[in-house]
Amino acid sequence: MSHAAARPRARQGTTIALTILALVIGMGTYALTGLGKQGRVPANLALYGSLFAVLFAASLLVIRRFAPFADPAVFPTAAVLTGIGFAVIYRVRGDLAAEQFTWAAIGLAAFCLTLIVVRDHRQLDAYTYTIGLVGLALLFLPIVPGVGQVINGARLWVRIGSLQFQPSELGKVLIVVFLASYLNAKRELLRLATVKWGPFRLPQPKHLGPVLLAWGLSLVILFVEKDLGASLLFFAIFVVMLWVATARPAYLVIGALLFAAGAWFGYANLAHVQLRVDIWLHALEPANVNLFGYGQLAQGQFALATGGLVGSGLGLGIPYRIPFAWTDFIFAAIGEELGLLGTVAIILLYVTLVGRGLRAALACADGFGKLLAAGLTAAIGLQAFVIMGGVTRLIPLTGVTLPFVSYGGSSLISNFILLALLVRVSAGSARG
Amino acid sequence: MSPFVLSALKYSLLLLLYFFIFRAIRATVTDLRRTGAREARPRKASAPRRAKQKPRGKGPGSVVVRDAEGRKLAARKLKGSLDVGRGESCSIRVEDSYVSQQHARLFLRDGSWLVEDLGSTNGTYLNDQRVTSPMPVRPGDLVKVGKTVLELRR
Repeated sequence: MSHAAARPRARQGTTIALTILALVIGMGTYALTGLGKQGRVPANLALYGSLFAVLFAASLLVIRRFAPFADPAVFPTAAVLTGIGFAVIYRVRGDLAAEQFTWAAIGLAAFCLTLIVVRDHRQLDAYTYTIGLVGLALLFLPIVPGVGQVINGARLWVRIGSLQFQPSELGKVLIVVFLASYLNAKRELLRLATVKWGPFRLPQPKHLGPVLLAWGLSLVILFVEKDLGASLLFFAIFVVMLWVATARPAYLVIGALLFAAGAWFGYANLAHVQLRVDIWLHALEPANVNLFGYGQLAQGQFALATGGLVGSGLGLGIPYRIPFAWTDFIFAAIGEELGLLGTVAIILLYVTLVGRGLRAALACADGFGKLLAAGLTAAIGLQAFVIMGGVTRLIPLTGVTLPFVSYGGSSLISNFILLALLVRVSAGSARG
Repeated sequence: MSPFVLSALKYSLLLLLYFFIFRAIRATVTDLRRTGAREARPRKASAPRRAKQKPRGKGPGSVVVRDAEGRKLAARKLKGSLDVGRGESCSIRVEDSYVSQQHARLFLRDGSWLVEDLGSTNGTYLNDQRVTSPMPVRPGDLVKVGKTVLELRR
């Protein structure tokens, strides 16, 4: 089996080369931003460069030791996104850069810890309902009076003492693990399709229970937490995973119909949903430019338009004029200073991540691992799509973070845990 | 710093970014091609090459049982028909909660050793390929049952 023996070494060479490239790109972006902004390279470039180098090297060592057959491109791709995000946050909110670095460091530590603790993804299959309950609890924690906080109109923050975080981010990862385990166990049942309905074969109505339950839960998130982004994301992840588990396109259709019904119901009854749609349609009308929400989206559009094909150059534009350019609107800030070439590169990085994730799902031998990899991949891909589509006005804007790029501790840490699980499945699938 | 230098640096950065994406995607493509080639070229096709490397003795003569960490647990000579599982009656008994009572069988047919799955819960894998029908085994092959690995030797 010389072939199999040669493979991990070649893969690790690729991982190391790609990670070094990721470090160079991240720090290059940071240095260039400083050059453009202040006319000189940031004084702490060497410091951040070496700190990131140490963190990446430590992560590579953990991958080598605990997941030697891991996919070679997954970690470096996330590293590039993290590096670019750090530089752009330094660009638009210099005061948050140090914090973002700290979150990235904690995120990478969480990544390593997850790989060390979860030696085999099938370990997680044993705790289906525990993980599911914890995930649900995290999701609904912001509703608890006294703990939940309303920030920017959405009730998705939790404050305990001086610690403030967004539990739905970690909840998302746990729910994906739960769904993978649950759907894998019930797959055969959900596959049974006996009722014919036009070109589709539908499962018995009684087996549609889980779909309706997930739909109901996402509506609860929408109504109680006023969190449009999370609501949309959860339902979409669920439908995609159900489709992957059963190979029945009928579920996609049912999901789309339920989504349409939920969206219509939300639009009819919730003022903030109506406002989001109105902003989406009328963001660029001159009369609205100074209104909250409209102006933000308009500034994002102006930034993308100013950027054009190649952008104004890092540190040379005015992306700090966009409200929330360090979180939800970071994609527009990248668009202004690196142009279409920069934003397309970001999209391609997510495409790479999604491609590698689905590849791991295909190669995985067990049903749980397949579903887990597909679900985690869908979570990253859908989230990136929802926010990039929102910023570019393809769809109504819903506030979620751009994975690995946006400022925010909860998001960065949860996404690194998600990444670790994806790396774990990819390592398992190569080993068999 | 002149605008020209800044632009040049910006383009270099974008170039580097696309080079990264190119490398990452190329890794995917070669990976897929490798997997595809492995799947397209069935086990029979690789037999002559193997035969050239090891001219003596075609079939396996013994089997080594290893746990998930690769520790050697037992070794058996291949004789007659060997059942693998947690059950009392199995000739190769493994203490592995992922293994079924009657999990797999190694048996001789027409002079060659085959492995078949006995309807186990977690499946039997021959070199990472799920065993759905009896498949021939050769020295060096790895049969995975649960977390336990059976290594075939000459």
